[in-house]
Amino acid sequence: MPAIALAILTGLLMGIVFGFALEKSRVFEPGMIVGQMQLRNFIMLKVFLTAVATGALVLAVLNGFGAVKLQPKAALYAADVVGGLVLGVGIALAGACPGTTLAQIGVGYRDALFTLVGGLFGAIAFSYAQPWLDKALIGTGPKLIFSDLLQIPYWQGAIGMAAVIAVILFLMERARSWRDDLGTDNDGNDVKAIGASRGRPFPAE
Amino acid sequence: MPSLFDKSWSPYVAGIAIGLLQIPAFLMIETALGASSSYVTVGAAIAGWLDPALLRIDYVARHVATSAKNLWQVAMVIGIAIGAFVSMKMSGARRQPISPIWARALGSPSAARRYAVAFGAGFLMLFGARIADGCTSGHGLSGLAQLSVGSTVAVAAMFAGGIVTAMLALRRI
Repeated sequence: MPAIALAILTGLLMGIVFGFALEKSRVFEPGMIVGQMQLRNFIMLKVFLTAVATGALVLAVLNGFGAVKLQPKAALYAADVVGGLVLGVGIALAGACPGTTLAQIGVGYRDALFTLVGGLFGAIAFSYAQPWLDKALIGTGPKLIFSDLLQIPYWQGAIGMAAVIAVILFLMERARSWRDDLGTDNDGNDVKAIGASRGRPFPAE
Repeated sequence: MPSLFDKSWSPYVAGIAIGLLQIPAFLMIETALGASSSYVTVGAAIAGWLDPALLRIDYVARHVATSAKNLWQVAMVIGIAIGAFVSMKMSGARRQPISPIWARALGSPSAARRYAVAFGAGFLMLFGARIADGCTSGHGLSGLAQLSVGSTVAVAAMFAGGIVTAMLALRRI
């Protein structure tokens, strides 16, 4: 099979797994993402941090044994801050990220089609502005990773971070179980602020 | 044991499944998980058809090139829609055309208002993600897992922007 066809098939299969995990965890629901940003629902952070820790462990092994090279992005602080803030505003108002927008379209949320088309226009607008933005804001930077700053091998740093995340997740889960974050219809639409539902079986009323 | 017919999985099971996707990404495509550059590949290919001058910008040319990495990511985001659709069908979950939270968050049941907000939100999301060179997947999942300093800054900014907007511009859901 030609390399491109294999890449497309790999992408399609990976996307199907990704879409399944996003739908089953309910993290793609606007109620979950807006709920996370209003700090009343922590499903998004739980899925996100678990995926980060898993990825770090996987890469600790693959990179530690020399099977893969790391692909960190350059540290471009001005662009990371400005772009990150604008992206965050968009995520809150979309109730979605660029990837979960597609999961929302898959389950039939009509507004997600507008998010997608808006996203395509945003990407086109950036493309026209890129030569100018590159000079004015983005620039170039080093591919810095924390383990290099600490002068330890990447695999040690990655395992250390995964351990810290595991402790954070344990404490978050103890503060409120993920089952309480889901709400009665598994869409996070009727979840009370943290503390309000604590110690009570859900649904409370 | 989680089943494909369940309505929901634990966030930890789903998170592990997503994290394991770094294995095929790094081994087969020699890249990290990401989603937002596919919007440039598709958007610029369409716009370039109307305005071929756009394709002469280096950044655009790199993203619309028929390379394994570009097409892999477009295929993956299409796969996300397929996977979510199949998962929903298998669990028998039912969805309304617009999530009921929006009537509360926007203070209006108007579908037209929601569509307008969604369009603007999508625009900001991708414009911001392309400035930062990554989104929740590329900077978030992949950047943090690789201990990237720049990605950590981008993710902090992303959550800051999201939390301030959701607290101030949206009503409590």
